[in-house]
Amino acid sequence: MTDSQQPLAKEWTKEEMEQAVDMPPVPEDKEIFVRIRNLHKRFGPRHILRGIDLDVYKGETLVVLGVSGSGKSTFFKHLMGTHTIDEGTVEVGGRHLDHLSTDEWGAYRQDLGVIFQMAALLGSLTVLENVGLPLIEVERAPTEEIRERVIEALHRVFLPAEEILSLRPDELSGGMRKRVGIARAIIQNPRLILYDEPTTGLDPVTVSGVNELTLELQKTLGVTSLVITHDMEAAFTIADHIAFLYNGRIVAYGTVDEIRANEHPVLRQLLTGSTTGPLTEDYVK
Amino acid sequence: MLAATGRLIIQACEEAGRTLRLLVAALLYIRVIHRSHKQLVRQLDHAGFGSIVVLSLVAGLTGMILAMQMGTELERYGALDSLGAIIGATFCREMGPIWAAIIVLARVGSSMAAELGTMVVNEEVEALKIMSIDPVRYLAMPRIVALIIAMPLLTTMADVVGIAGGAFVSHSLYGLPYDKFILSAQSLLTSTDFFSGLFKSMVFAAIIGAVACDRGLHTKGGAEGVGKATTVSVMLNVLFVLVGDYMLTAIIQFLTRAEII
Repeated sequence: MTDSQQPLAKEWTKEEMEQAVDMPPVPEDKEIFVRIRNLHKRFGPRHILRGIDLDVYKGETLVVLGVSGSGKSTFFKHLMGTHTIDEGTVEVGGRHLDHLSTDEWGAYRQDLGVIFQMAALLGSLTVLENVGLPLIEVERAPTEEIRERVIEALHRVFLPAEEILSLRPDELSGGMRKRVGIARAIIQNPRLILYDEPTTGLDPVTVSGVNELTLELQKTLGVTSLVITHDMEAAFTIADHIAFLYNGRIVAYGTVDEIRANEHPVLRQLLTGSTTGPLTEDYVK
Repeated sequence: MLAATGRLIIQACEEAGRTLRLLVAALLYIRVIHRSHKQLVRQLDHAGFGSIVVLSLVAGLTGMILAMQMGTELERYGALDSLGAIIGATFCREMGPIWAAIIVLARVGSSMAAELGTMVVNEEVEALKIMSIDPVRYLAMPRIVALIIAMPLLTTMADVVGIAGGAFVSHSLYGLPYDKFILSAQSLLTSTDFFSGLFKSMVFAAIIGAVACDRGLHTKGGAEGVGKATTVSVMLNVLFVLVGDYMLTAIIQFLTRAEII
C-alpha cells in the first residue's frame, strides 16, 4: 500500500481542520523578531485572514506553507506594508506596523528585503541600475559607492558581477534573474527578508542553488527570513520552523520533524501529494 | 437598474478623482525632476521623436484633403484666395492640437498604459513601493512631463506640415501661388490662434499622460487586465480630449471676444 492510499487515522471535522494552533512558549535562547497576533483581513464579504497568530524568531527561517487561496500572499502583503491591517497586530523588530508614520515606513522598508516570485526586475534598467535602485533613489549614494555595493551584492549571490552589470533582465537566465532579485533585496543589509515562492518555475539545479543561497545568507548576514512556498523539498531544506496556513489561519506549526509527523489531514495531503483528501473532496462530489 | 447606474456614476467619479490626484501629485514632483532626467529623455524620445513620421503623414494628408474639399467650393464662389486663411486657422486652432493628441494618445498613451500595466502584473510596481520609491514620481511624472514638453512641439510641426500640404494642393490643383496662400493665412491668423493651439496641446498632454498612467498603475488581473487597461485608456483619452477641446475652445472664444469688445 502506497503512502497516498493509506486511510486517515482519525476523522477530522471541518472545525477541527480550521482550528488555529497556539504559538509555543518562546525558548530561552530565542528572541521573537516578528510577532503577529489575531491578524484579520477582509475584502468585501470575503474573510481572507481569520485571526493569524505567528512568531518568527530572530535569525531563523520560517516557511509558510499553504495551498492556493489559503491567504499566503495576503498575509505577506501585510509584512510588505502594501495591505492595511483590518484587525490585529503585526510587530517586526519592535515596530508596530499598524501605527507607523510615513517616515517610519521608510525606515522599516530599508530593513526589509523582498524576493519576488518573478524577480520583479525593471526591464528598462541594467543589472547595475536594478540592484542599485534603492541606493540611487532612496539613499542617493554617490555613483562609485553604488557600483561597489552592487558588485559586492552580486558576488554575495555568486554572480559574475563585472560580466553582467550592463545587461538588462531579458538578457539573463531565469536563475540569474532570481539571483539579481536577491542581490537587490540584500543590498541595504535588511534585517528581514521575505521570499515569495522563490523556487517557482526554476529547474531542479537552480532550485538547489537558490536553497543553498537562502541558507548561506541566513548564515552570513544573520537575517530573519520568511518564505512562502509550495515546494516541500525547498521548505524542508531551508526551514527552521514551518507554519501551515489553511483557510486564513495557522493550523499547524513546528520544526521540520514536527511538521513531517503532523496528522492534520490537509497538511498530510499536501505533503504526500495525494489526490484523495479534504483538499480534493469537493472535486469528487 | 437605477442602483446600477448610480454605482457606475459613483465609480466613474471616484476614478476621475483618482486620475486628477495622480496628475496633481505628478506635477508637484516636477521639483525633483532632475532625479529622473534619464527617464525623461527616454520618454521624450518615445513620445516626441517616435511620433514625428506618423503625425507628419496624417497632418500633411489632412491639409491636402482639406484644400481639395474647400478649394472646389471656394473656386465656385470666386473666393479661392481665402483658402490659405481657412486652412491656416483650421490647423492652428483645431487640427494641429487634435491630430497631435489623437496620434499621441493612440501611440504613446496606449503603450504607457500597457507598459505600466505589465509592470504591475510583474510586481515591478510593488517592488518600487517596497523600496520606498513612489511609482507616481518614478514612473508617472517623467512620462507626463515628457508629453507636456513634446506635445506643443508636435502640434507646431503638425500645423506647419498641414499648412504646407494644403498649400501644395492649392497650388497644384487650383493654381494658387504659394505666396498668396501664405499671405491669406497671415491675414487671418493671430498669435492668439497659434498659442491657444499650443496651450490646448499641453492640456491634452496632461490628460493623456494622467489617464494612461492611472489606468496602467491600477491594472488588475494578468494579461487580460493589461489589455483592458490599454483599451480603456485609449477610449477615455479620446473622450476627454474631445470634451476638453470643446471646453477650451469655448473658453478661448469667450476670452478673445471679450478682448475684442
